[in-house]
Amino acid sequence: MASSGANPKVLVLALGNELLADDGVALLAARELAGRVAEGVEVRESAQHGMALLEELLGFRAAVILDAVCTGRKPAGRVHRFTLQELAPALAPSPHWAGLPEVVAYARAAQLPFPEEVVILAVEAVDLGTVGGAPTPAVRAAIPKLVRATLVELSRLTARRGP
Amino acid sequence: MKGTVVIDPITRLEGHGKVAIFLDERGNVERAYFQVPELRGFETFAVGRPAEDMPQITSRICGVCPTAHHMASTKALDALYQVDPPSAAKKIRELVYSTFFVEDHALHFYFLGGPDFVVGPQASKAERNILGVLGKVGLEVGKEVIGLRRQMRELITRVAGKVIHPVLGLPGGVAKKLTQEDVAAFQEGARHAVEFAKFSLKLFADVVLANRAYVDWVTSEAYAHRTYYMGLVDEKGRVNFYDGQLRVVDPEGNELCRFAASEYLTHIGEHVEPWSYIKFCYLRDVGWKGFVDGKDSGVYAVAPLARLNAATGMATPAAQEEYERFYTTLGGKPVHYTLANHWARLIELLYAAERMAELAADPEILDPKVRVLPTAVPQEGVGVVEAPRGTLIHHYRTDARGMITAANLIVATQNNAARIAMSVDKAAKALIKNGQVDDGLLNMVEMAFRAYDPCHGCATHALPGTMPLVVRLYGPQGEVLGELRR
Repeated sequence: MASSGANPKVLVLALGNELLADDGVALLAARELAGRVAEGVEVRESAQHGMALLEELLGFRAAVILDAVCTGRKPAGRVHRFTLQELAPALAPSPHWAGLPEVVAYARAAQLPFPEEVVILAVEAVDLGTVGGAPTPAVRAAIPKLVRATLVELSRLTARRGP
Repeated sequence: MKGTVVIDPITRLEGHGKVAIFLDERGNVERAYFQVPELRGFETFAVGRPAEDMPQITSRICGVCPTAHHMASTKALDALYQVDPPSAAKKIRELVYSTFFVEDHALHFYFLGGPDFVVGPQASKAERNILGVLGKVGLEVGKEVIGLRRQMRELITRVAGKVIHPVLGLPGGVAKKLTQEDVAAFQEGARHAVEFAKFSLKLFADVVLANRAYVDWVTSEAYAHRTYYMGLVDEKGRVNFYDGQLRVVDPEGNELCRFAASEYLTHIGEHVEPWSYIKFCYLRDVGWKGFVDGKDSGVYAVAPLARLNAATGMATPAAQEEYERFYTTLGGKPVHYTLANHWARLIELLYAAERMAELAADPEILDPKVRVLPTAVPQEGVGVVEAPRGTLIHHYRTDARGMITAANLIVATQNNAARIAMSVDKAAKALIKNGQVDDGLLNMVEMAFRAYDPCHGCATHALPGTMPLVVRLYGPQGEVLGELRR
């Protein structure tokens, strides 16, 4: 849970579970980011699900979410970049399944102070289910790439002055 | 080969929950299956680790239920080290646990049950989501749900360090005693929670119970199963989330057995099916007779409805009133309607809130003696709590140095797995006729398992994908006839 700056405006939120093999990749990247981010950027880690993410994101001007994802459509270790506009609102059948699209829709509808811009950087993963499994080599090797991609996003997001 | 419909949530977790519906030549349901994947490798992972690390490790298993795993694990350590925590420590644990229940049950009702009940089972899919709930209950209530959750989470953080990875429980007690200020904050939170729970029950009465069509759905045979029910009860037989004995009642409401968590292996067996990784729990005293209802079948249920059925009442006054109303309205005990879980959950929300208030008002909770240091040689320990989704058991064996040699976890969904499978099958058979499979029918099939809120293995979810459900229709030769997405 590294942070810098007294009045953080941009959030880096790393999601995952270190106990579940590749699922911890974003957390490992977040630890490398600590100390390398500009003032006004806060780095947080979370293992929480959908609606709890809302509470993490409220109050920030912009956010970069780091995550792992299994699309099966890209080689392992590839870093995907998504924006909120690319995620259509979803109907989650359980809090276990609630995701960012629902969180955003809810925040907007309830007029909560949600970040204007959210970028998601997600590493294509192989194994998100083995308890105690180490990250697979291709996914572990993607950590420096994920860190660089995050810093690029941050320099863009922090260069733009807030209101 | 026959026609197949697969309801497959596309999420970032491989092998997530999946409903597969097999149709016969005439387009009627031959059999529907619900698959719940399990976390792989937990037992292996635990072996060789110090037992005292388990409350921290197991709380990281699940981002939804960390507090439940933390408590079950801490209680297993009490048993392992044969140490009885001081009264204040038990009360602090239960206070934090009740706060967690308020947070979790509130989330569940509004964001999960809400789309089915507040908006309505037959509303269009554009409305049948949390935005539809907001539209119906109003913006202020929507903000209130978020506000209540924030307050509960702040209270947990105050005492347990972190909501997602609590550091409260230790064998023989808790890490931190409470201050006067802590107690005042919990009292304030409890007042808020009680008010919120009462409001939610009123909303349920106004929106659901006052609507004949909804009540007909709740009490429909398509959603009923006459099974056994299990839940933790206190010495007077009333619902308790944190401690007590496990009580099992039969489909007529008579007690089958009552036992301490340490005896769970005597009473709970695990059945394996070729089509699922999950082990289906059943009552050994009755035996496994397949996925069937009735007194001769060892299938049982856990979670809110089961807890109410397995108990003699609620231990707090307002919740007890609601408990009585519940059974009067639904035709006596036990209630077999799966969808009544949503109402039962609200009664439990009120109980958790009232219990918070009671514990926060108890002067003993300020006693500075919150730990008894363990001195015995560890060997074996079982801990049990009621998680929001049902009975949760942690069982560890260790060597004399306290290093884990074997671990077994029974999570809520395993207890419920057989009944969930039966519910999905029954709803599918009742609702899908002659190949008529549309979005509304699939929602009603989903409602059958949503009421239990099954766990599907646990990890973070930022990207469940843009379509939690994909339905594929296969022809008799296995060819894909079409695909529905929602």
